Amino acid sequence: MLLRASSQAVGAEVDLTAAVEDAADGGVEDGAVLTAFAEAVVRAADDLDAARARALETLGPAKFVEAAATVGIFNGLVRVADSTGIPSDAMMLERTADVRGDLGFNRWAGASASGVAEAPA
Amino acid sequence: MSFDAGRFPVPVREDMTAALRKSWADIGRAGTWWTGPERVAVAALARVERVQRNEPPWSRNRGEPDTALPEKAIEAARKIGADPMHLDRAWAEEIIAELGDARYVELASVVVTTVAADAFCEAMGIEHEPLPEPETGEPTRERPEGMGDIGAWVPVQVVDWSRANVARALSLVPAGVRTFFRMVAAMYSGTATDFEKMVWDHRPLTRPQVELLAARVSALNQCFY
Repeated sequence: MLLRASSQAVGAEVDLTAAVEDAADGGVEDGAVLTAFAEAVVRAADDLDAARARALETLGPAKFVEAAATVGIFNGLVRVADSTGIPSDAMMLERTADVRGDLGFNRWAGASASGVAEAPA
Repeated sequence: MSFDAGRFPVPVREDMTAALRKSWADIGRAGTWWTGPERVAVAALARVERVQRNEPPWSRNRGEPDTALPEKAIEAARKIGADPMHLDRAWAEEIIAELGDARYVELASVVVTTVAADAFCEAMGIEHEPLPEPETGEPTRERPEGMGDIGAWVPVQVVDWSRANVARALSLVPAGVRTFFRMVAAMYSGTATDFEKMVWDHRPLTRPQVELLAARVSALNQCFY
């Protein structure tokens, strides 16, 4: 996972449960603001205006735009993967083998495309 | 002009608005397998469906689609747009059996481009960009060589490939790859050299911040990849 690898590159240890828990910071600077912003956009949540305002206030304009861009483009990227059934890269599967089951990823529909599907919970 | 800088509440990098503008214009042009009007119709269907993503599919207000697209194309545009976590091989094979694999891939490329731009607008707090005016012209109907089976639902490039699989997922329609991955470079990855670095200095956010957002968005969409 690029989240873990990029954190280790700067000597930090990330908490990967932030990927699956609401408003978790994962040990990343301003992480809770970022994840709450992403959640509000993806869910079209009632608190989107508040989450956006908090992100802009906390991050400042330049970082806020990058956060919005990342949220935007990943809403497209997930659909690239899931509409084509593209298998995960072998290296990525190997490097995430220790956490995928605990985080519940192997129960998602797309896991079957990579041959690691578990029955849904 | 689409994605005009004046629409945004805060300054947006010029390379990002330029990429969005180019890719948006691409939607309105004849593609490889679909005409400009068909591509805009696909984008419109995906947008209308995704806006209602919090409603179950059976209770969404769809009205009568104002398009002559095949029924399976309408279904695919809607489902990829709004329900990506419910796509599976059996469903895709049924769609591809009617549309053909390359037409399916191009349709997906239009949907993902539309969704990414729309989600960016929502994140920025601005209205969705009006869909481009469809242009006249005929699809090129060019099928690339060097495609093969790596276990995906569609053929992908297998010759001279050393990058991540997701970057070749749409490779059956190279024009679709250019349209969408132009935005990926501007909004996320930067150059290939940038992407390989685990410490980023080409973006205001740190790489862990960017990857936390990426991981959270992926998880919310239940995207295994």
